[in-house]
Amino acid sequence: MSGFTTVLVKECRDNLRDRRTILSSFSLAVLGPVLFIGLMSFVLNTALGESDEPAEVSITGAAYAPDLIAFLESQNTRITYIETDDPRTEVVGRHHPLVLFIPEDYQARFTAGLMVPVTLWHDSSQIGSSRRNFSAVRAMISTYARTIGVLRLQLRGVDPTIANPIVVREMDTASPAARALTVLATLPYLLVLVVFMGGFYLAIDTTAGEREHGSLEPLLCQPISRAQLVLGKTSAAALFSALSLVLFLISFALAIPFAPLHRIGMSLEVDLAMSAAIFGVSTPLMLFGASVLTAVASWAKSYKEAQTYLTVVILVPTLPLIVTQMMSIEPSAALMTVPSLSQSMLINQLITGEAVDLTHVVISMATTGLAAAAMIRLTIWLYNRERILI
Amino acid sequence: MIRAEGLMKSFGEVRAVREVSFAAADGRVTALLGPNGAGKSTCLRILSTILQPDAGSAWIDEHGVNDDRHAVLRAIGVLPHATGLYTRLTARENIAYFGQLHGIGRSALAERIDSLADELEMGGFIDRKVEGFSQGQRIKVALARAVVHNPQNLILDEPTNGLDVMATRALREIILNLKRQGRCVLFSSHIMQEVANLCDDVVIIGGGEVRFQGTLDALVRESGENDLEDAFIRMAGVGE
Repeated sequence: MSGFTTVLVKECRDNLRDRRTILSSFSLAVLGPVLFIGLMSFVLNTALGESDEPAEVSITGAAYAPDLIAFLESQNTRITYIETDDPRTEVVGRHHPLVLFIPEDYQARFTAGLMVPVTLWHDSSQIGSSRRNFSAVRAMISTYARTIGVLRLQLRGVDPTIANPIVVREMDTASPAARALTVLATLPYLLVLVVFMGGFYLAIDTTAGEREHGSLEPLLCQPISRAQLVLGKTSAAALFSALSLVLFLISFALAIPFAPLHRIGMSLEVDLAMSAAIFGVSTPLMLFGASVLTAVASWAKSYKEAQTYLTVVILVPTLPLIVTQMMSIEPSAALMTVPSLSQSMLINQLITGEAVDLTHVVISMATTGLAAAAMIRLTIWLYNRERILI
Repeated sequence: MIRAEGLMKSFGEVRAVREVSFAAADGRVTALLGPNGAGKSTCLRILSTILQPDAGSAWIDEHGVNDDRHAVLRAIGVLPHATGLYTRLTARENIAYFGQLHGIGRSALAERIDSLADELEMGGFIDRKVEGFSQGQRIKVALARAVVHNPQNLILDEPTNGLDVMATRALREIILNLKRQGRCVLFSSHIMQEVANLCDDVVIIGGGEVRFQGTLDALVRESGENDLEDAFIRMAGVGE
C-alpha cells in the first residue's frame, strides 16, 4: 500500500469513528431533501389553496348594513357575526384576525348620500391567510362601494365613467407551477452546500486538528513525501464529500414522491441516470471543495480557528449562485469557468430537463479540476514549510 | 550513530541554537540535558528533519539530514514531546499506521506488532482505543510506534514527562534493553536524577550552545561539584 492510500484509509477510518464528524458531515445531506420537499409542499399547497379558499372575516354591527352584508355573503366569504365595541382587542388577542366594524349611523348616512366610514381591523405583521383575507375583503367592499357610486351617478343622470378616468387591471401570470420552480431553483444551492459540508470536519480534523493533538510531528517523521500526505488528506475529504452527495441523492430520490407536484401537472423523477449525471458533473467540485477546505484548515493555527475560517469559506461558493439567480443570468461558456457556479447551473439544467451543452460540461470539469489542483499545490507548499509545526 | 556539527537555528530574532556539535554512539544512551528553552527540542527536531538548520549539518549513521530525508527517517525512530496518538484508533492501529508508512508488508507488520506488544507488555490494551489510556500506556504505544520499523537510532524528547514511578521504571528498562541491542539512544531531559541512572554520556546545552560533553564521571570531575545536580546547574549556566 502506498503512502497515499495509507493516509487516505487511515483518515477515513479515524473520522468514521467520530460521531460529531459523521453528524455534521451527513446530516444536511440526509435531512436537506426532507426539508426541501417540505418547503416545496408548503409553497405549492398555499399557492393552490388560495384560489378556492373563502375569505374569512368577522363582522360587528352587521344589523346596521343589511345590503352590504348581503353583498358580502354572495361573494366567496365565510362570515362570523360578532358584537363588540372594541374590535382592536379582538384582533390583537387573535380571537378574530380580521374584523369589519360597521358604525351605528351607517344606514342614516347611507340614505343621506354621505360618505360612510367602515373600519377593517387587521394585523399586517401576521403572515399567511389573514393578509390574503384582508385584501380580499377590502376589494369586495370597494367593488360594492363602486357599484353604489355608479348607481347614484346614473340616478343623477351623470355618466359614471367620468369619475373613473383610468382603470387598472391586474394580471398575475405567476402560476403555482412557476412558484414551485423558484423553490426548485434553490436545489443546486443546497447541493453545493452538501458537497462542501461533507468534507468540512474531516478537513479540519486531519490538518488543524492533527496539529493540535500533537500527532502531526510524529507523522512528519515518517518517510512519506508531503505531497503524498496532502493528497491523502485531501482525497479523504473529497471521499466524504462524495459520500455526502450520494446520501443526498438517495434521500432526495426517496423524498421527491411526497412533493405534490402532480397537482400542478408537473412530474419530477430522480432516476438513477439523472443521479449519476448530477454526481458526474459534481465530481470536480468535490475535489475542489476538499482542496479548498484542506488548504484553509492547514493554514489555521488551531481547530477553533479552522472552524471559524471554514464557516466563512463554505459561504463563498454559494455567493455566485445567489447573484446569478437574482439577476437570472443564462449559462454561458464563460460562467462555466467558475467553480460551484458552473456545477449548480448544470445541475439546474439536468433537473429541469433542459438540454445540457456538452462543451459546457467539459469546460466546467476542466476549470474546476484545475482550480482544485492549484489548491492542492498550495497545501503541499504549506506542508513543506517548517511553520506547519510551529 | 548520531552526529551533529555546528548546528545553528534562529526563529526570527530568537537564536534558539547557536553552535551545537555533539555525537551519540551506538550501544550507548546519550542524554541531551538543558534547562527549559535551552534549545534541546530544536536540536532534536533538526535531527528528525522537521526543521532545517540555518547552518551546520547532522548525520544519522551515514545519511545527512540536509541531503537524504527519507534515508534519515528510516534510520531513526522519533518519540516527540507530545505522544500524539490518534485517540479514536486502537493501539494496534496507531502502530500499524506508521508501520505501513514505512512500507512494512501486512503479515510482517502484524508479527512485528505482536512482538512489540509482548516486549512492551501491551497485551492488555493493544486492541483498545487509545482514548482513556493512562500516560504510561500512551508512552508505550508511542514508543512502539517509533520503533516499529526497527530503527538503529532512537530520539526521545523528554520521554519521562508526566510518568509515574512505575511507568518511569518500565521506560528505563525499555531504553536499557534498546541499548543492549546495540542501538543508539538519544533522549532529552531536564531532570538530572533520571539521567544519572540511565545514561552513559551527557551533552549539556545552555543558551543554545553545548556547555559540556562526556561521561557522567567526567561531568562530576570537570565541574568540581560532588552532586550531579549541582554539576548540571553549574555547567548549564542556570545559576548565572
